[in-house]
Amino acid sequence: MSNHDVAIIGAGPAGMTAAIYAARANLNVVLIEKLAPGGQIVNTYEIQNYTGMGTINGAELAIKMFEHTQELGVQFEYATVIGISTTGPVKKLICEEGLFYEAKAVIIATGTEPGMLNVPGESSFAGTSISWCAICDGPRYRNKKIIVIGGGNSAVEEGIYLASMAEEVVIVTLFNLTADPIACRKLRALSNVKIYEYYEILEFLGEGKFIGLKAKSTQTSEEMIIKADGVFEYIGIKPISKAFIDLDIVDDHGYIEADTTMSTKIPGIFAAGDVVARKFLRQVITACSDGAIAARSAAKYMEKLNEI
Amino acid sequence: MAVTVREINGEELERLIAGNKVLVDFYSKTCGPCKMLSYVLKDVAKDVDGVEIVAVDFDKNKEAVDKYGVDSYPTLIVFNKGKEVIRVKGLQQRPKIMQLINI
Repeated sequence: MSNHDVAIIGAGPAGMTAAIYAARANLNVVLIEKLAPGGQIVNTYEIQNYTGMGTINGAELAIKMFEHTQELGVQFEYATVIGISTTGPVKKLICEEGLFYEAKAVIIATGTEPGMLNVPGESSFAGTSISWCAICDGPRYRNKKIIVIGGGNSAVEEGIYLASMAEEVVIVTLFNLTADPIACRKLRALSNVKIYEYYEILEFLGEGKFIGLKAKSTQTSEEMIIKADGVFEYIGIKPISKAFIDLDIVDDHGYIEADTTMSTKIPGIFAAGDVVARKFLRQVITACSDGAIAARSAAKYMEKLNEI
Repeated sequence: MAVTVREINGEELERLIAGNKVLVDFYSKTCGPCKMLSYVLKDVAKDVDGVEIVAVDFDKNKEAVDKYGVDSYPTLIVFNKGKEVIRVKGLQQRPKIMQLINI
């Protein structure tokens, strides 16, 4: 059992910034991450709007942020937090690995993950024929046929990238293309791209081996089967907050409710980054801002505790 | 002792995996999770004894990629005396990599 001033759950930009600010406030910090530093930015090829960085690869920015935390002596631990007990004088973090961490304050910065459709057949092919990372899994579909689900920025940008290697890319989206107009024009101009707008996915098809999708037009109710070798899903994001539902700080969509000081309604529990509800903008820079504010609020909370 | 992660080509890979245990990282320079995994592997290499950790560029070593059926990156494969012991795809956490090495 480890005892800390502040435990930060999640080492994306929000969590790492919170760790930097908390460490600089002379707090004993533990930063807990289930996979690797960086969160979603590791999958971002280029970040072009993080002040002072010009254009930087997402993973390279994540490594810079992580090294910054290490220069300040932040304790980094690999664990998956599955619950927080708030019954005692300190918060107890319960981890899947059987580990426990104790801290006076907790900052939740678990971020988001790609959403899924939850239609028949999807879970059978997730991680094999269904992928969320075009740059990682695109090479296996060289000269093959791919379906991209979604019509937002990620779907359109990755669709353009995948069209550079696949024989054919079929975009299927529930609405029309909502991505940046320049990117949409570029996608529509590609000769090996077909776009089906206003189509709902009904089922992923194949027994053992993926063979295609069944989709239905929301305008005509016409159903069709689209054959393909693989699928890339870009249908939005969902918050990673299952571990905190029992705390009653999560809204109906799974996001954590926090005020402008990043405080939740439970004293000593703060939230930062993409997992926070009602955010106008979810960007690296806003996640970092949240992290800084959450750490400052945690430091103030510690000051009050020490006065008692 | 591993100490660091060595970049090798397909030919060298053939010679290397015929010997003792080797952890091979098939990566691409264009891939974010690969960059992060390389960073984590460099850290792992400092603590690993008796297992060599090497990196093979997916885009420059097509023969090796085809021979070992690597279809995405990053892919980690542990070989021991010429035989594949285990493979995992995607970014992995440090403790998981240590487990793979110790299988």
